[in-house]
Amino acid sequence: MKQRTRNWLLLAPAGTWFLVMLIVPLTVVLIFSFGERGASGGYVPALTLEQYANLPARWTAFKNTMVLAPAGTMAALLIAYPLAYFLAVRASPRWKTILLVLVIVPFWTSILIRSYAWIFLLGGRGIPALLGWAGLEDIRLINTPFAVLIGIIYGYLPLMVFPIFVSLDRLDKRLLEASSDLGARPWHTFVHVTLPLSIPGIATGCMLVFILLMGEFLIPAMLGGGKVFFVGNALVDLFLQSRNWAYGSAVAVTLVVVMLVTVTAYMRLIKRLGAQREDVAIM
Amino acid sequence: MSNNNNYISKQKFMEELYRYKKGSVTRRHFMNVTGLGAASAVMGAAMPGLLPRPAFAAGDIGDRVILATWPNYHDPANFDAFSEATGARVQVNVFGSNEEMLAKLQAGGSGWDVYVPTNYTITTYVDLDLIEPLDTSRLPNYNAPSYDPRYAEAGSVGGKLYAVPKNWGSTGFVVNTKHTDGGQPLTTWKEFWDITMNQFSGRTTVHDYQLTTIGNALKYFGYSFNSIDEKELADAEQLLLDVKPHLFAISSDIQPSMRSGDSWLAMAWSGDGKQLNTDMPEIAYVLGAEGGELWSDYYAIPKGAPHMDAAYALINFMLDPAVNTKEVLAHGYPTADATTTAMLPVALQNDPILYPAQDLLDALEFGAAATLTDPNRAELMARFKSA
Amino acid sequence: MNSAGYIQPEANVRQTAIAELKGVSKHFGDVIAAQDLNLAIGEGEFLSLLGPSGCGKTTALRMLAGFEAPTSGEVLLDGEDVSALEPYHRPVNMVFQHYALFPHMTVAQNIAYGLKQRRPRLPKAVIAEKVSHALEVVRLDGYDRRRVWELSGGQQQRVALARAIVNEPKLLLLDEPMAALDRKLRKEMQLELKTLQRKLGITFVLVTHDQEEALSMSDRICIMRDGRIVQVGSPQDLYDHPSSRYVAGFVGTSNFFDGTVTARSGNLVSVRLENGMSVETSRADGIDQGQEVCISLRPEQIRLKRSGEGVPVSVTNRIFLGEHTEYIVNHQTLGEFLVLSPRQSELNEGQFDTGDLLVASWEATAALALDRT
Repeated sequence: MKQRTRNWLLLAPAGTWFLVMLIVPLTVVLIFSFGERGASGGYVPALTLEQYANLPARWTAFKNTMVLAPAGTMAALLIAYPLAYFLAVRASPRWKTILLVLVIVPFWTSILIRSYAWIFLLGGRGIPALLGWAGLEDIRLINTPFAVLIGIIYGYLPLMVFPIFVSLDRLDKRLLEASSDLGARPWHTFVHVTLPLSIPGIATGCMLVFILLMGEFLIPAMLGGGKVFFVGNALVDLFLQSRNWAYGSAVAVTLVVVMLVTVTAYMRLIKRLGAQREDVAIM
Repeated sequence: MSNNNNYISKQKFMEELYRYKKGSVTRRHFMNVTGLGAASAVMGAAMPGLLPRPAFAAGDIGDRVILATWPNYHDPANFDAFSEATGARVQVNVFGSNEEMLAKLQAGGSGWDVYVPTNYTITTYVDLDLIEPLDTSRLPNYNAPSYDPRYAEAGSVGGKLYAVPKNWGSTGFVVNTKHTDGGQPLTTWKEFWDITMNQFSGRTTVHDYQLTTIGNALKYFGYSFNSIDEKELADAEQLLLDVKPHLFAISSDIQPSMRSGDSWLAMAWSGDGKQLNTDMPEIAYVLGAEGGELWSDYYAIPKGAPHMDAAYALINFMLDPAVNTKEVLAHGYPTADATTTAMLPVALQNDPILYPAQDLLDALEFGAAATLTDPNRAELMARFKSA
Repeated sequence: MNSAGYIQPEANVRQTAIAELKGVSKHFGDVIAAQDLNLAIGEGEFLSLLGPSGCGKTTALRMLAGFEAPTSGEVLLDGEDVSALEPYHRPVNMVFQHYALFPHMTVAQNIAYGLKQRRPRLPKAVIAEKVSHALEVVRLDGYDRRRVWELSGGQQQRVALARAIVNEPKLLLLDEPMAALDRKLRKEMQLELKTLQRKLGITFVLVTHDQEEALSMSDRICIMRDGRIVQVGSPQDLYDHPSSRYVAGFVGTSNFFDGTVTARSGNLVSVRLENGMSVETSRADGIDQGQEVCISLRPEQIRLKRSGEGVPVSVTNRIFLGEHTEYIVNHQTLGEFLVLSPRQSELNEGQFDTGDLLVASWEATAALALDRT
């Protein structure tokens, strides 16, 4: 009995947090999504599916998100994996620490400030000026989907590098020796041993990046010049500009549902790809 | 200053950086886009972090007053002077748009003592009972006859005073004349939109703000800036959709890209125009001949302000013509108070950007309350942005 | 074979050498992991590298496998210098200490891994055939579709073994393969491994720190210390003719008494112990008059009697172990030492109890005068 009380007490802070920060807001949003907008904005209680019926009006935002979020995730993965591999397998212990710190350091600065750096780099006096010097005139980078992709990769790279790094670092190096001992050349060892065993890290990294990207609004607004419109931007506008809370809630609920469906499908896929049951880090 | 286009001097860079650090460049800056009002509020609040200690023990009006305002819209030295005089520290929350301010107040629990709404929002605040009527006896510095009624009248609703004028300005556009035919500035909104779809493709910035972007698109057809007529809005929408592929950006933070030369043409509030023109004379500020927006900002107290005494004290302090002069000199926007204007340098009083000629001024319209709350305009803007 | 137990590598190869270390050293920075190793491994033999941790046995093994390149010297396989050859180019396979089985593969996939690397490719049917045969050999028929983490430690070890032998390597290296098994299972596996080695005729090189394991399985044992080879020989050689106190202590148990050589006559050496007692011992090469030596006396070589000739001792402890009994006896000046008495002798002469006063005796040839190192 006493043990049970203690258990409950231990769980109380997390439970309360979970309730207050997740369940309550989600419930409120769900209720709002069936309501109506007040004459000067805000929320008027109602029970209508009107907001959901109006979802096609944000179809482009959903489409952009569903294209750029997976594309950004894939691009981040392709860049993060070699980096994580180098850090975990190749770098000497001292360099490992230095390089890991270098990967983390940008995280200490607000993404806002860092995006400003990119605005300058991608703007007319940055990389395009260098390209112009090299004879490639009139290349425009800033305020394009490409710039958004760069910003996404840059901003989310550490989130992708770390889980992959951890899974590769934890990888029993004797398995690589065993593979080599059994006659496998390095590339074969990578494809058949290293890569499959780092799937948990890849899965975790992709999940983290993808979920956060689905709600991203800052990078498209800043590096896309407001022309690349994500669901996140639609939500910001709905809540802060047109103050259409009911419709905003319906869009938010839909985003959550789309996210859950995508993530579930993704988990199934990863499992089928043969990740070990006990090693899939995120559940 | 043409060499300014080719490189950015160290000093200029530091200035720019400082502006970024302050959280913004212009009134209704990029926070509008990002919705990071809260983040900017933190930055804003960090600014007066090391205020001098009050010269005397506080107590009568409390130790703080919370102000919700626009970026770069005050002289920080005046806040220092206020806290020295009263013992109340000014905590600044910076916002990107009237909509955002309204959203915060509608949600409740803002904790603000003073805020700075624009003319067309005040009736809505009154309707929603979110604004406190002002007791002029507590604002001895408010000398009503000295204020131009054009910029003061929106402060009263139903004969009751709710807000006192802060500053006013216009919304036009800036154009880099290095890229125009014969170095001549454009003159109309029609030219603005037409050149965007041709010669200036990929170089034009429009506000991320439905009021001005839709309003100025309406002007292409000669409609009212405030129109909520379905057919007229449909025309404006078609224009905006046609223009979208040719835009450089949809952003209210126009200055960096105008300065860097990435953008050649942008919608601009008069303060932006003035600052750009001062630094880079080839950038001209133009009021479209068809008209456009005229606006006036006010000081007001939200319902349930936690430090009511301090709120009155702050507004009264800011209305002191000596203080107000410093404010205008700091941010460059004109005031409706004739007493203050008279104390400004003559060159400033005659500035054509800040004080446009009468005929141009007459073509401008104040934003209307209906424009603010109209759901169709908001949806139109969303369709435009996501197209 | 000379009686001293110092064995020249070349001289000891029974058949042709399948692998050879020639003057091989390995330095990791300032650390010398292996120094001037010379060792020939005969085709089909079971050789153990025995020594405490850090003695260089694992380094030697890893150089044979190709995971480490020697700092100097040559590693020969079938007469060819392979020092610079990558592990995946060597016809050598290894059973790793913790098996290093691929956790994301089934048992069959693990075993087939090496076969799938062959070029030209082996037909699928051949691979399947070889895998199932290997499973049979290690008595794991029917486990092919299991995941490796579903198996017990012993089963995992068999899979590791099957994964290596299926490739029919010229040399099978085993790195402490039994370290993770419990005692009973270890005994079983030792026997099984030895049987398997005979059956397959593959050359085995086993690294172990467990002398019993080395003694019970090996044709020859190579004893190492501080990166060097100390002695190589058959288990009996090493037991009966250790070259030093270190080897005598490592192979089996022994009682040691320090002393000085006083005289030599024929095969016998007289040694004066530190307590002044004089003892006749059998000669070892390189022992000279006046030299400080250590006398090794195996516990089973000592006989205890109630009376007669010998040194007087008292019994301080008796441990009955079934087939024999261990006595710890005390001599006034020599101190305590261990005596092993076969059950049969106890049945004949009766057993002794704690406190009994006895005499201990041994044949002069049973005591060995050894280098003290």
